[in-house]
Amino acid sequence: MSSHYDPTKSVSSSAAYPEVSFHHGHADDATFRKKVKKTTILLSVITVIELVIGLAIYNIHKGANPSELLVLMFKGVVCILTLAKAFYIVSVFMHLGDEIRNMIMTIVVPLMLFIWFIIAFVADGNSYKNLRNQYDPYFKESTMPSKHHGEKHEAAPAEKSGKE
Amino acid sequence: MSAAMHVHPEVATTHEVHHDEHHVHHHNETFISKYIFSMDHKTIGKQFLITGIVWAIIGGLFSVLFRLQLGYPDQSFPILETFFGKWAKGGQIQPEFYYALVTIHGTVLVFFVLTAGLSGTFANLLIPLQIGARDMASPFLNMLSYWFFFLASVIMFSSLFITTGPASGGWTVYPPLSALGQASDGSKLGMDLWLISMALFIVSSLLGGLNYISTILNMRTKGMSMTRMPLTMWAMFFTAVLGVLSFPVLLSGAILLLFDRNLGTSFFLSDIVVNGEILPNEGGSAILFQHLFWFLGHPEVYIILLPAMGMVSEILSVNSRKPIFGYMAMLGSLFAICILAFLVWAHHMFVTGLNPFLGSIFVLLTLLIAVPSAIKVFNWLTTLWRGNIRFTVGTLFAIGFVSLFISGGLTGIFLGNSTIDIHLHDTMFVVAHFHIVMGVASMFGMFAGVYHWFPKMFGRYLNNTLGYIHFWVTLIGAYLIFWPMHYQGLAGMPRRYLDKSSWVSFSQFGDLDKMITVVSIIVFAVQLMFVFNFFYSIFKGRKVTTQNPWGANTLEWTTPIRPGHGNWDGEIPEVHRWPYDYAKDGRDFIPQTEPVGEHESKH
Amino acid sequence: MSTQSTVHQTKWWSGGKSPFNLEYGKLMMWYFLMSDAFTFGAFLISYGTIRFSQNFWPDPNVVFNAFPGAGHANLPLAFVSVMTFILIISSVTMVLAVHAGHKGDKNGVIKWMAWTIVGGLAFLGCQAWEWHHLITGEHAVLATTIDGNNYIDMIGQTMGGNPWGELVDPALAQSALAASSHETLVHLAHEFPKEGMAAASVESLEKMSSSQLAGMVDVAHAHIREKGPIAFGGYFFGITGFHGFHVFSGVVINIVMLIMTQKGIFEQRGHYLMIEKAGLYWHFVDLVWVFVFLCFYLI
Repeated sequence: MSSHYDPTKSVSSSAAYPEVSFHHGHADDATFRKKVKKTTILLSVITVIELVIGLAIYNIHKGANPSELLVLMFKGVVCILTLAKAFYIVSVFMHLGDEIRNMIMTIVVPLMLFIWFIIAFVADGNSYKNLRNQYDPYFKESTMPSKHHGEKHEAAPAEKSGKE
Repeated sequence: MSAAMHVHPEVATTHEVHHDEHHVHHHNETFISKYIFSMDHKTIGKQFLITGIVWAIIGGLFSVLFRLQLGYPDQSFPILETFFGKWAKGGQIQPEFYYALVTIHGTVLVFFVLTAGLSGTFANLLIPLQIGARDMASPFLNMLSYWFFFLASVIMFSSLFITTGPASGGWTVYPPLSALGQASDGSKLGMDLWLISMALFIVSSLLGGLNYISTILNMRTKGMSMTRMPLTMWAMFFTAVLGVLSFPVLLSGAILLLFDRNLGTSFFLSDIVVNGEILPNEGGSAILFQHLFWFLGHPEVYIILLPAMGMVSEILSVNSRKPIFGYMAMLGSLFAICILAFLVWAHHMFVTGLNPFLGSIFVLLTLLIAVPSAIKVFNWLTTLWRGNIRFTVGTLFAIGFVSLFISGGLTGIFLGNSTIDIHLHDTMFVVAHFHIVMGVASMFGMFAGVYHWFPKMFGRYLNNTLGYIHFWVTLIGAYLIFWPMHYQGLAGMPRRYLDKSSWVSFSQFGDLDKMITVVSIIVFAVQLMFVFNFFYSIFKGRKVTTQNPWGANTLEWTTPIRPGHGNWDGEIPEVHRWPYDYAKDGRDFIPQTEPVGEHESKH
Repeated sequence: MSTQSTVHQTKWWSGGKSPFNLEYGKLMMWYFLMSDAFTFGAFLISYGTIRFSQNFWPDPNVVFNAFPGAGHANLPLAFVSVMTFILIISSVTMVLAVHAGHKGDKNGVIKWMAWTIVGGLAFLGCQAWEWHHLITGEHAVLATTIDGNNYIDMIGQTMGGNPWGELVDPALAQSALAASSHETLVHLAHEFPKEGMAAASVESLEKMSSSQLAGMVDVAHAHIREKGPIAFGGYFFGITGFHGFHVFSGVVINIVMLIMTQKGIFEQRGHYLMIEKAGLYWHFVDLVWVFVFLCFYLI
């Protein structure tokens, strides 16, 4: 029984922290600061572009004939820019880019599940709307935006004035 | 023997805790630090198992009670009134009580027994032992995982004793019923407690799952590459992945439901009138909750099933003294099942008004699961084929698992087709399907694991005679209970109904229902016999005298018979081969720790 | 003393090289964050599902157009961009804190952690203001009684109400003024007087009759809307609240880390791994905000 595990024996200081050997040799200070600075500027610029697009969408909506297609395209661009931002935050700020490949894969692969997660949920939400527009006239009437403001309320004021 | 226990757990665990000054004191473990707030993964595993057993008795008893109602709807059992008072007025189970029984039976069996009791037990027990680690990555969080589960249990248990009764909207707690307290007694306080309990349970399963994943990925011993791991480890790994990625979605659903219940939001509610009162909620979608629920709910059935699959693979290989057939195919199909489990949730919702086109994609993805499932079944059968089988109780339960998995899996093909599902949805056919394929089959996997690893857990054997009786009665009983339900379901008999005797078309099943009830009482009694065997054998069972009683290759059998905290007395073992070198080069088995010989044939 | 303990820890696990070349705690933090990403993902996807199931959804530029101290000025997206930049900058200071930790520069860690905490608190303050503004800022909406009578109501953005529906035709709004409460009319006449009329004091308006007041309101200017989808408030407060809760817990964690650094605990340990783990969490909070920003404010 002399081989019993004893934590106080067989000390080898060189073996300290084998699992904590992840110091990825952060080049030198200057390179690191440059990288952080570059990423910060990049994130800021992307955010500013996003804001500009957001305001553009606002102005399109205010206009006389809003082009739904243009709005949709702008929204698509914003989504892509957001994904770019997320990429930079994860890969530079969170240092995922510096980890080994297998580790990166264990993070990235499960995130793929979001693709079907989003598509199926949103598609069913959209289908739910279509179903109700088709079979629930009250829903359609009370929530469908009118193309020209006030049109659908034409009858209402008359009714109202009658009560007075 | 106990020298190894002197290792104090804190040292093991975290880089942030410093105990160097007083580590000498830890050599004397108290009862509390050894058995209650233990950080030893083996003790935590046993805690999960015993808590799971307690819950299984409660959940099983509930099923006996509602089976009494289903088999004998007109009869009165005065003893029920003695025990349950107003819930069984006149000795007859009242509707509220019936629905509460069904709901808690489902919740308890699915989450507390077959999730915590199954993967909680065996992931904790086996992961460090089989990959060659001294403990989990973070024993402290591991301990917390159990205590969160315990807390969830206490809250769920307490909900059984409140005036309005526990949650009774079904284990799926669909809104609007579950969201509106005024709709039924079971949707009042009991429902809040259900949701809180479930939130705590999710925290528990998250803490456990993170530990299992990090331990398997990062703490394997020398030479233990991923493809040298026993299939149990792969199964536990994928189980943990499923849990970590899907439970948070249920957490979101539960939080939103709590908001709907208590803060007047309209996430799941719209256009509702209750008892003549028009509710102001607008714009929510009850179907959304079902999506959120089943995004967890479907992976959940694989969280239940995969550990059983992994253990069965290992037990069948060990006891047929043959290498597992198609190791890489087994691994690939586990991976495929894990991925597909996330993609098929809406096949539980074909009749909700789900978009039929979307439904057809879900049908396709669902039927794809048949492929990896069939691969696994054939591999188990070919592992047994021409093996030198030792029919231990564990082996029998493993074979029983394969049988049940086939029987229940085939009916899944019926239900996975949206068109057939329209007829079968919410009938007894569904009850039969999921009880066989995931309920009873996983119970069999769990029993197989308990019989097989009991010697490792307690250094004693379970009683064999009682074990064989347990197996045969349970197997035959399970088929007698659930097989006839298929016919009932095909005839259109709905599930969850309290009393079907007034329907002429269902009254033909009256005697069948009586038979099912009688058998389920017998099977329940036999489970109590197993529980007796379990606790009796912990203290009085036949002692294990050899280190490796089953002649297995895996690392847990290289530890002392009663391993202390730290598992191995000396250095942790180094691994040189895969775990399935049975009947190779004229040798019965070659442990993983043995270096590959010069003239050894390749597998 | 600490060297000795280090050796114990290593001895406990001696499986050779770590496959991921990563300390287990960081690995667990990563997988925890992934799990949390699914929680947030589920919230945001639920929001998307509901939004897609509605015929109408408010334009964020209309909802989020206020700025502290700017009164009624229409400044769409201005305030939220300030919030976004606060979080980005606090993320950068966190990177610098982690970097200082790598170098074992205790004072650097303290400095940058302090700035990160300041950033987190500033963000929370901004969020508190925004919530307060949305809940208490009441807007005129067209409401209907059970009998079908129209009137003008004043509601804020809450869990159970949303004032950002479609703009109402001024003629209809004008007719609905008659049935509105005196209080509402006083408010409207005070805020939106017809052109040429000087804004009267509230006291003097309160003495007038309802029909007098109704004649004084410039309904076109008042931007009276229908009630919007109720779900908007639930999701907005639910999700930004859940995010705010993460920011709050992040700030608490950071404060604990700051104190531990100050006490020299990490210095004694010889590494600043805890700062790295806290950093991962903090960046995740920033990451989630990027998506909350996208879903609620931009599209």
